[in-house]
Parts: sequence; structure tokens; C-alpha cells
Amino acid sequence: MEIGKCKQIKHILILSAAALILTGVLWEYIPSAGIRVILPVSGALILLLVLLWDRIIRRQQADFANDICETVDDLMAGRVPEKYRPYEDSSLSKVQGKLLQYYDRLREGQWQSEQDKQTIQELVSDISHQVKTPVANLRMFTGILKQHRLTEEKQAEFLETISLQVDKLDFLMQSLIKMSRLETGTFTLHMKQNSLYNTIAQAVNGIWAKAEEKSISIEVCCDIDTTVRHDPKWTAEALGNLLDNGIKYTPKGGSIQISVRPWQFYTRIDVSDTGMGIAPEHYNDVFKRFYRAEEAAGEEGVGLGLYLTRSIITRQKGYISVKSEAGKGTVFSVFLLAE
Amino acid sequence: MDIVIIESLKKYFEEDSGQVKALDGIDLTVEKGRITAIIGASGMGKTTLFNIIGGLYRPTDGKIIVDGVNLADLTEDQLTVYRRRKVGFIFQDYRLLPELTIGENILLPLWLDDSRPDKEFFKELTSAVGLAHELEKYPAMLSDGGRQCVAIARALITKPSIVLADEPTGNLDAKSARNIAGLLKMTVERFRQTLILITHNLELAQLADRVVRLRDGRVV
Repeated sequence: MEIGKCKQIKHILILSAAALILTGVLWEYIPSAGIRVILPVSGALILLLVLLWDRIIRRQQADFANDICETVDDLMAGRVPEKYRPYEDSSLSKVQGKLLQYYDRLREGQWQSEQDKQTIQELVSDISHQVKTPVANLRMFTGILKQHRLTEEKQAEFLETISLQVDKLDFLMQSLIKMSRLETGTFTLHMKQNSLYNTIAQAVNGIWAKAEEKSISIEVCCDIDTTVRHDPKWTAEALGNLLDNGIKYTPKGGSIQISVRPWQFYTRIDVSDTGMGIAPEHYNDVFKRFYRAEEAAGEEGVGLGLYLTRSIITRQKGYISVKSEAGKGTVFSVFLLAE
Repeated sequence: MDIVIIESLKKYFEEDSGQVKALDGIDLTVEKGRITAIIGASGMGKTTLFNIIGGLYRPTDGKIIVDGVNLADLTEDQLTVYRRRKVGFIFQDYRLLPELTIGENILLPLWLDDSRPDKEFFKELTSAVGLAHELEKYPAMLSDGGRQCVAIARALITKPSIVLADEPTGNLDAKSARNIAGLLKMTVERFRQTLILITHNLELAQLADRVVRLRDGRVV
């Protein structure tokens, strides 16, 4: 029962008791002596009961408040609350449960910062691993060039190899910068209702030449008026990575399709290719940082493209999924929030 | 931070044909605030695990700790309170009450716990699942996808410790399934919930941050 209602009932009962006592005392004209006694006595009894009830309620409230204070004290000291009975069907258990939930939310922040530290450590280890090979190659080839007299032809060949290694390092660096900006949130997403057609066109423009080189056709199926709330620059980057991936793993003469379907909560963008495909057990792996499938070893890349794509889409509150059939092709589906 | 810790969990059923080992020594942890998918073909123990985490079944042996409490130690009454306060359930067949309005269906878990709703949260949640203008309607007036939206909101209204979803898109056509899958992901992430997704659908499992595969009652 609510405290306000209890007080109201208490006041009514006290007033009734007082009225009965007064009536009994003053009612000289009551013919029966028995009634003259019963009225004040019952009034006094009601009064007594009300006072007793009041005392019990006060005691219960004090116990409840003390138990809550003890719970808060325990939480402040980092202890598990002694009197915590999480699954009792009582008000105390209910309030304690909410307090613990609140306390957990506060602790999550602390835990997150510890997780961030761990992520940074892993990242440093991953990066040093990625940089090691090209740097070792650079050292080796520059050493050979310095210490040996080589024909002009050989020199040109080694310089070309060095240049390729520098390109690889540059690409890795660019990807890492993007990744760092995405992970630390040091960039602002310009989320607006923008034309999806234009964003896709921007992504396709970036890989057109590569597709032509491999005679891969690109078909876009998107209504020119489709708009979605998204950041065009970063979304084009994400879609560009998917297209780049498609071209890499699709044999010469294959095809890539981009189709857009606006749904109730999400707008779905499918990027499908006719490439080598991904085994179902690796669906989740392909989005991991620096993951490279064994079959992809022959292709250039550092394993950051899909990771970046997923980060970009997730930052926009969207998500990405993949479906594939070995030897037939892969469909990456990007879901962007409809509003 | 692990919200669910499962150690050597076993669940055996006695049947006429003999003992069936639905779960045969499972070790598993579920991280708080993440989406974990438990996948596997039919009969591999997924639903048994769902029922044990949800406090609907008791394990034959082993530990199942949710939010610091071993469920095996709870009495039947305590398990009822656990289910009411700590778990949000989403079923394949929605399990809505047809005689209650959408709004009433969503608020039902709070009524059962004699709790008052957080009005702002209710507004935010119902608009997140696209039901803000459907609250006075009845479940029969909604599509299958719409009904599952109600079930999602109902699971989240108590701000539970874990949300358990058993094949949440199993009854939906491909388009609605993807729509609801996306919505489920969006809402649990927005309201910082922990979701355990039980499915045999590999596409749906991709919503998860972590995928656990069950085979013959064991994690593989």
C-alpha cells in the first residue's frame, strides 16, 4: 500500500475513534448504559490498534531504509551486499536488484577502459607483426644494392621490389590511420539524409579501373531517388572496400552486382560477386582485424578492408552480414538505418 | 565481464528408450553487453540450454551462474522471480496474449512483478521498435513481424540482465526475418542489453559478436 494512502486511512481511523469516545462520553441521553460503555471502549480500542499499526509500519520502514543503506555501504566499499537476496519476492530484493544494476552500469565504464588498454596492446602487437616483413625486405634489398655491384637491369628489378614494399607499408599506414580514427572516434560522422545512388557511384568510381583490368562487369540496381541517413564519404569507403574485395577474389570475366532494397527499419545494400566464396565457418572471421583466409594468401592485402567496413557501418548504427557459396560467389549485405 | 558462467553443465532426460544426454558437460561464458549466438542443428541441445539459462529447466549436474547467482541453488519460487526480473524472453511464436492490447502486452512482465513502468523508457522503447502508434491495437491486427516487435519490446521493458531469443525469426518470411534481426540487434545494442541468440540460421548468427556451436550436447 502507498504511504500516502496509509496515512489517509490512519487519520480516518483516529478521527472515528475520537468521535466514538466523544459520543460515548457526551451522550447522556442514551437510554442503555451498556451502549454508553461500549462506544468509548471500542473507540479506545481502535485508537490503540491504530497506534500499534503505526508503530509496526514505522519499524518496517526503518528496517527497509537501514537495509538499503547497508546495501549502498557495501557497494561503496566494493563488497557484495551481505543481505542481498536477489530472487526473493520482496520490495527490498526488488530495490536491491535495481541498485546493483545501477552499480554495474557504473563499473562497466571502468571495465571498458581496461578493455581499451588491452585492445591497444593487441593492436601494437598486430601492427609490429605486419610491419616486420616489408621492413625486413627493405633492409635486405637496400643492403644488396649497397654492397654488391649489380647490373642496371638487376638494380631496376630490386628498386621495383623496394618500391612495392614501400607501397605496401604506405597502404598499411593509411589503413591503420583510418582504423585508429574509427576506433578512437576522432572523426565526426556527417549523418544526413543523403542520396544512396551518389554514394554507390562514388564507391564504384574508385574501383572502376581495377574492374576493367580484370574484365569484371559491375551492375548497379538502385533507384536514383533512394535516400538514407548516412555519411556519404565513409559509407563510400566501406562499399569501396567490399567492391575492392569482390574484384580481388573474382576471376577474370566475372561480375559484381550492387542492389538496393529499402525496408521498414533498414535499407539493404547487397554487394555480390562471382568469386571464390567464403566457407560458412569463416563468416565471422572475415571481419576480424588482420584476418586473411588461406586461399587469399596469393592476393595483395593486409586484412583490414572488411574490418574497416564493418566498423564504418556499425558506427552508423547499421550492420553487415555475409552469405556465400564456395566457388559460386559471395554476397555482402549492408544494412543502414532507414531513418 | 561475464554475466553467464556455465561449468560442466549436464542435462539428461529419462525416456522409455533410455537416457538422453541433451547437454553433456558444457563450459561456456557469455560476456555482458554482447550478442552471443548459440548455433547448431536441431536436437543438438540448443533449446535445452535456452531453458536452463532461462530458469525453466534445472540442470542434472554442473554450474549455471547468472549475474553472480548459481541457478541450481534457487528454489522454485526464487526461479520464478529470476525469470520475471532477470530474463527477457523472445520466442519463435511470440507468445502474446490476444486479449490484451499491444501496450498491455509489453507492460505485462512489469505488472506480474507489481512494478511501475519507467514511462520515458516505455516511450523510447516502443518508438525504437516502431510501435509508438500501435499501442491500442491488438496482436491479431499486426503482421508476424509486428508481433515479434511487440515480443522484443516486452522482453526489454523490465531492463533484464539477459535477453534470451529462441529462433526469433523462425516464423517469418525472409524479408521480415532480416528486418526483425536488424531491429533486435539495434535495440539490444541501444539499450545496452546482453543477448543470447539460439538459432540454427547461420545468417542470423552473424548479428552476434561471438558464435558458439553446439553438437551432441557439447560446445565444439
